[in-house]
Amino acid sequence: MSEAVRKGGGIVGKKVPRPDRTMLIQTYVPETAKGMAVLMKHFFKNTKEMVFGQRNDPVLEALDDGINTISYPEQQRPYPLRNRGLHRLTHREDGSPRCVACLCCSTACPAQCIYIEPAEYPEGDKRRGYERYPAKFVIDELRCIFCGFCVEACPCDAIRMDTGEHPVPYDSRDQFIYDKDLLMALKGRDGSQKTRNPRHEPGDPTHPGITRLGKH
Amino acid sequence: MSLVDLIASFIKIAVLIGFCLGVGGALTWNDRRMSSMIQDRVGPNRARFLIPAWAARAMFAAPALLIGGAVAAWGVLWREIPSTAFANARANERIVITFELAVLFLWIGLAMLTAWSVRRGPANALEEFLAKTVKDPRKVFYAGVVVHVAVFVLPIVMRGSALAKQLKPQLFWIGPVTLGLVVAAMGLVGAAKVPSEGFKLRLIGLLHTMADGLKMIWKEDFVPKHGDKILHSVAPMIALFPPLVVLAVIPFGDVLCFATDPTGKILISKVLSMVPREGVCAEGAIPMQVASLDVGILFIFAIAGTGVLGAAIGGWASDNKYSLLGALRAAGQMVSYEITLGLTLVGLFMIYGTLRPENMVWWQGQNAWGIFVQPVAFFLFFIAAIAETKRIPFDLPEGESEIVGYFTEYSSMKFGMFFFAEYIEVVTSSAIMVTLFLGGWNLPFLHRDGITVQIGDTVLFHYGMSHLMVVIISVIAFFTKVLAFAWVQVVIRWTLPRFRYDQLMKLCWRALLPLSLVNILVTGVVLLVIQNTSVTVRSALDAAGDLTQVVVAVAMIAGGVAAVRWLLSPVRRQPVVLSTSAEMVARMGRTITRPMQA
Repeated sequence: MSEAVRKGGGIVGKKVPRPDRTMLIQTYVPETAKGMAVLMKHFFKNTKEMVFGQRNDPVLEALDDGINTISYPEQQRPYPLRNRGLHRLTHREDGSPRCVACLCCSTACPAQCIYIEPAEYPEGDKRRGYERYPAKFVIDELRCIFCGFCVEACPCDAIRMDTGEHPVPYDSRDQFIYDKDLLMALKGRDGSQKTRNPRHEPGDPTHPGITRLGKH
Repeated sequence: MSLVDLIASFIKIAVLIGFCLGVGGALTWNDRRMSSMIQDRVGPNRARFLIPAWAARAMFAAPALLIGGAVAAWGVLWREIPSTAFANARANERIVITFELAVLFLWIGLAMLTAWSVRRGPANALEEFLAKTVKDPRKVFYAGVVVHVAVFVLPIVMRGSALAKQLKPQLFWIGPVTLGLVVAAMGLVGAAKVPSEGFKLRLIGLLHTMADGLKMIWKEDFVPKHGDKILHSVAPMIALFPPLVVLAVIPFGDVLCFATDPTGKILISKVLSMVPREGVCAEGAIPMQVASLDVGILFIFAIAGTGVLGAAIGGWASDNKYSLLGALRAAGQMVSYEITLGLTLVGLFMIYGTLRPENMVWWQGQNAWGIFVQPVAFFLFFIAAIAETKRIPFDLPEGESEIVGYFTEYSSMKFGMFFFAEYIEVVTSSAIMVTLFLGGWNLPFLHRDGITVQIGDTVLFHYGMSHLMVVIISVIAFFTKVLAFAWVQVVIRWTLPRFRYDQLMKLCWRALLPLSLVNILVTGVVLLVIQNTSVTVRSALDAAGDLTQVVVAVAMIAGGVAAVRWLLSPVRRQPVVLSTSAEMVARMGRTITRPMQA
């Protein structure tokens, strides 16, 4: 260390000891033998594991020696939990979308890629008067910048980006326009189409209801 | 030349060329496989056949049932031991070999079954036993080795006893029947283990090499506009020709002796049962060698020397200055290293006292392998031979991607022929090295009359074997040695970086050439000293020669045991869950492999 700190400052590099070029090294032979030994070790180990199907798991056992490459696209590393993948529209218990067509997401969207056409429930439906439903819900995946603002904005936990999948490459632009049916068909990483957050339907005892309005 | 000789020559040529082309292809594959295996990646492995389950089951079961049935039928139909003395000796061999093979297949099958049932769970009582009680396939292997030794030793111990006389006629047919049953059972178990969706035959990427070879044939055959069209086409043939021709004088097995009729014609159906250890066949002999020449080794050098013409003409006919420069580099390098190649052998000639490859092999079988009597020459010859094949670290003539080489203007199968010639040269040069230095077709202590372990004049162990069996083993030994040595050359190719051209020339003229001259001098002096010493010293040298055989034999057996032990050793893995990705994979069990779409 004392050598590194010299008077007058300036950058002093760390001294790397030069390897000794002994006679043995200069004859080239023992070093070649060592190199061959390393090479054979890798070759035999990896070939054996390939042939016997003993390759280590490329994700779980990635720190072990051996072949750790992922054979994309047959094998894919799952995206981490915080990854924002394709959108999906979550379902209610009866299979209809949780979305109430409040337009929060399309308002929040900086890329303006969400288009929603709200519609009223028919006369006599329990939900009429409480909420609306999206007659059309379209996301242009080419415009989307995957910022996740729509998920943040949604008050009903109706739109999520937890599918863990990236958009499939298509060969024309119109194929990137995902409509309501497609978005509702996508599943979350856990395989479910619902969310864990409870939903209070009109008529449920837990539903705050419109009666509350009368009290004020 | 009689008709028998002619047919035998054709068969020998076909065997040699078939071996060369097959191994050449396998080396191409091995070269690429190694490039990926040493870097811990999968490598070219996409080409594959999907074999449906029924076909895969048939592939396992049908040959096993056929072969097993045939072997068992052979045992049952020829169950009487003929009364001649020869036949009696061969009956012993049939019993021992069938039982040894049965034991071999049995432990291999049981070890595989153990590994399978430990990994995938047992399906029946036997697998339950293997998975729960045996657990480690290595235990099966050790038991197998013990039984192997027992089967070999028991007949020797029991020779001459009343029990042996009583058992022998029974064992004579039980042996083949047991072997047949084991083979059939292995096939059936294998068929039962085929997954119901069939399996993908990839042959660890071998199919990929085949696909590449096919591609090469269909590619455009380009000839430069102002190039010499005839020479451009002839050059790859000249490059491919010498390494194949050189093999003509290489003996790839011991002489096969036949009985003859009174006129001296060979009776092809009558192979001699036993031959004495020393001397040549008294009657008709077919050597395992295409041409037996007096000049032997000199023929190899004369033909191999023309190999440089292929590269030189190819570079010249391409009408490309850089190709021409590459060709000149090739010519300079090959001519330089040929001098070392020739001079290293002078010491061998002095010791062997012959130019005939078959006599050299014979000498090595009687005394010690060339690598022990001329280690320096072996080392120098090895380096020079790698330089002759123009492969890394001496691949300046071609330098596929960096330096423009002599076959730049070649495409399609003409390029393929240059490329393939290189691999065949590897096979040929390892065949020459095996012949000169590694004992050719010799195995330690295996002589014409069987196994004789002998140190100096004391015979420790003798085991008689029939002539045909010895010849078959010697042929297998030769080809196995060549394969192993060719593989070592591929290892060297992946270990070393390329030399600079001046380093290349310095290595040849300033290091290898003086060393080979010194080697000649030292060999001559040592030979003179030995010739003028007492008998005790010479008999001590004889014993030392036998000791080298012991060393080789022990190394081979220990290596084999260690290899199988390593193959069967279980893998220990340490799953590390450090990311949410890994968590998800852990929840699924392991990373899912889906079939590729489209």
